[in-house]
Amino acid sequence: MKIFRSVRFNIFLGCLIALGSAVGTFLPQIPDAAEKVTAYQVAHPDLHRLFDFFGLFDLYHTWWFMGLLGLMAFDIVVCKLWNKPPDPGIVALPPEMTREAEIEKHLSQKEAALKLKPYQAVLSSALAPAAASQMSKSFLEGEGYHLRPEVSGAAGSSFIATRHRLQRWGSYTAHIALVVILLGALIKGVYGFVEMVPVLEGRSRAMQNKPDWEVYVDKFTIKYYDGTFEPKSFSSVLRVQKGSQVLGEKTIIVNDPLDISGVRFYQASWGAGGMFRSVDLKLGSQILQLPQRTPEKIPGTPFLVTADVMLPNFTVNNGQADSASLDLQNPAVRFTFSVGPHKTSPLWLLKNDPSVCFAEDPDGNLTRAPKPPFSLAAIDPILFSGIQVAYDPGFKVVLTGAVLWLLGMIGTFYLHRRRLWVLVEPAEAGAKVSVGAWSSRGPEEFTKDFDGLMHRLRAQLDARDDFRITQNPLVEVS
Amino acid sequence: MFCLKAAFALYAAATALAFTYLFSKDEKWSLWMLRLMGVGVAFHVASFGFRLALFWQIPENKYFLPINSFFGALSYLSLAVAAVFFVVEGRHRLGILGAFVLPWATIGAGAAVIFADPAIKGLSPALQSYWINIHPMVLMTAYAAFGNAFGVGVALLIQEHQIKSRKPTELCYRLPSIEELDNLNYRIIVFGFPVLTVGIIMGGIWAYNAWGRFWGWDAKETWAFITALIYAGFLHMRFVKGLRGRKAVYVSMIGFASVVFTFIGVNYLSELHGYLSGRG
Repeated sequence: MKIFRSVRFNIFLGCLIALGSAVGTFLPQIPDAAEKVTAYQVAHPDLHRLFDFFGLFDLYHTWWFMGLLGLMAFDIVVCKLWNKPPDPGIVALPPEMTREAEIEKHLSQKEAALKLKPYQAVLSSALAPAAASQMSKSFLEGEGYHLRPEVSGAAGSSFIATRHRLQRWGSYTAHIALVVILLGALIKGVYGFVEMVPVLEGRSRAMQNKPDWEVYVDKFTIKYYDGTFEPKSFSSVLRVQKGSQVLGEKTIIVNDPLDISGVRFYQASWGAGGMFRSVDLKLGSQILQLPQRTPEKIPGTPFLVTADVMLPNFTVNNGQADSASLDLQNPAVRFTFSVGPHKTSPLWLLKNDPSVCFAEDPDGNLTRAPKPPFSLAAIDPILFSGIQVAYDPGFKVVLTGAVLWLLGMIGTFYLHRRRLWVLVEPAEAGAKVSVGAWSSRGPEEFTKDFDGLMHRLRAQLDARDDFRITQNPLVEVS
Repeated sequence: MFCLKAAFALYAAATALAFTYLFSKDEKWSLWMLRLMGVGVAFHVASFGFRLALFWQIPENKYFLPINSFFGALSYLSLAVAAVFFVVEGRHRLGILGAFVLPWATIGAGAAVIFADPAIKGLSPALQSYWINIHPMVLMTAYAAFGNAFGVGVALLIQEHQIKSRKPTELCYRLPSIEELDNLNYRIIVFGFPVLTVGIIMGGIWAYNAWGRFWGWDAKETWAFITALIYAGFLHMRFVKGLRGRKAVYVSMIGFASVVFTFIGVNYLSELHGYLSGRG
């Protein structure tokens, strides 16, 4: 157990996690780029066995990486429970004392205890001790200090004033927040899911994780920036049904999903899968509209023409027709001409370049054909809308952790806890006010703060003598 | 573009003056360095304003900030480095640190002017979110702070070398004490670390709204996490183990190397955050 209390061990774990995480960014990962993993495995047949053994192609889901994260969470809890932050109040004496002798003893001990404080200042006032004590308390309350009950007796009185007490919990809160965030991630891992549902416009598809839920894309719209293939917006008119019951419907865009009881439907992607409603074939001055895979007669000729396949981003790959992407960047359609039982070789026509034509042989190999007397004038493609469906019951837990983390950070780094021990004793002509101080702030800044505070207190008390702040070299200020 | 070029020229001149001040005793160099920087920042802000006006001519970009390109990001980052330097300078009056910090602002502005494509493009649908005005700005502000901390760290290492050497030069008497530099390095990181982590969390919330997951181990996310781990290690070693001086600076410098990699290198690895390199 001792090792888990060690901050050094936790830092070592952090280094291991950082190193492991970094490795994962240089290798393709199965969840994001499965095809790249396959290509990597083909290109590096020896390395890939080793990498596979350690699960480096799905590194963030391996048992050892999850184990490291879990161990770190456990370690954080143990460290925070074990290694308590410094408590300056430990030096203070118990406030509950009733008998006079105890109070006198306490006050004398108090003076000794004051000398142990990191900073000390002594002021002399012409005011009576009770008035000086009252004045000091009013002043410190005005400065935002919280006062603890006073202990008083014949030898004088003492009280403790604190400010930004919550700072002490900042570090705890921040570390607990990390565990809460990891807990949220665990809840998502156990109870949540993510799936991609590509749906053709006007069609529907059942979900895998909720098989009785049917996702309908009634309309898909995409708009491009002028003269480019850069999309400026894309949206789906989405409807989700369970049988005949409509669970929800909305026009979704990126960053604005449909939410049905925590199951969220995101507009993630789109593409052209090769289907189209119709294409326009230009023959001289006339245009022939062809539905997909439906032969149409060319007027005034015995020929039938059929448009059967579309490639959204046509390219020639290993001598065969292929699509470089699912964007409609360079659409091409395959046509077949026939007379009775006789068919021509299929011809590929490109919409963006009417002068280019490829003939396809029975094996799928392409050869460049002369410019044909017809061209592809227009395509009305059926696009698919990529709907990402995610259910993350841990998100609110993660969000709670994030808010706690923020509060913890503010508490730890931006609040500076201060504690003053004030001892007021009768003096020859008035009262002697001794102040001991501690702060979570660095010595340079707190010396300035304390100096300013004592100057103002001195003015309030109408103190005669100047004062001097002494810093106890034996006390380390954390 | 003229304003940014002018800002770059002024930053470069201010950096030259900062180096002159480093090796001379004349306070006027420090004063002129600050003046040139001030004018440079004014030009830089004007450049940002002009770019914003052009950016908003595209309806889809309206009310979003123009940091969707490498040019915009570099320009904002160098402005943030200069701004953080001014804050540090205003509070600590250590004119000599200009020589260690201003090169980063100059390099950032110079890289934007020389290497980055200034073309203004419409935002992709994923970036049309109010989070683009918050998440990257917060993160780059943290990066700017770490850039300043790096400069302070370099100054600390030089000062320590001077003190340990048998023949300290004039520089030794001009640089702040090791304790002061160490404290400043720590304080800048204490500012930058929470800002970094809050920026990462904001990115997670945006990712949840856009893609349905808070965290996806994308390369950019992962390296931001690694950077946070390194600086968290720095703070723990300081708080708990009392790490100070040279060793602390080494850790913070590793953190800054991770920042640079997160900002530039990872754009070529990330599937989802490749906007700056045109891969996104």
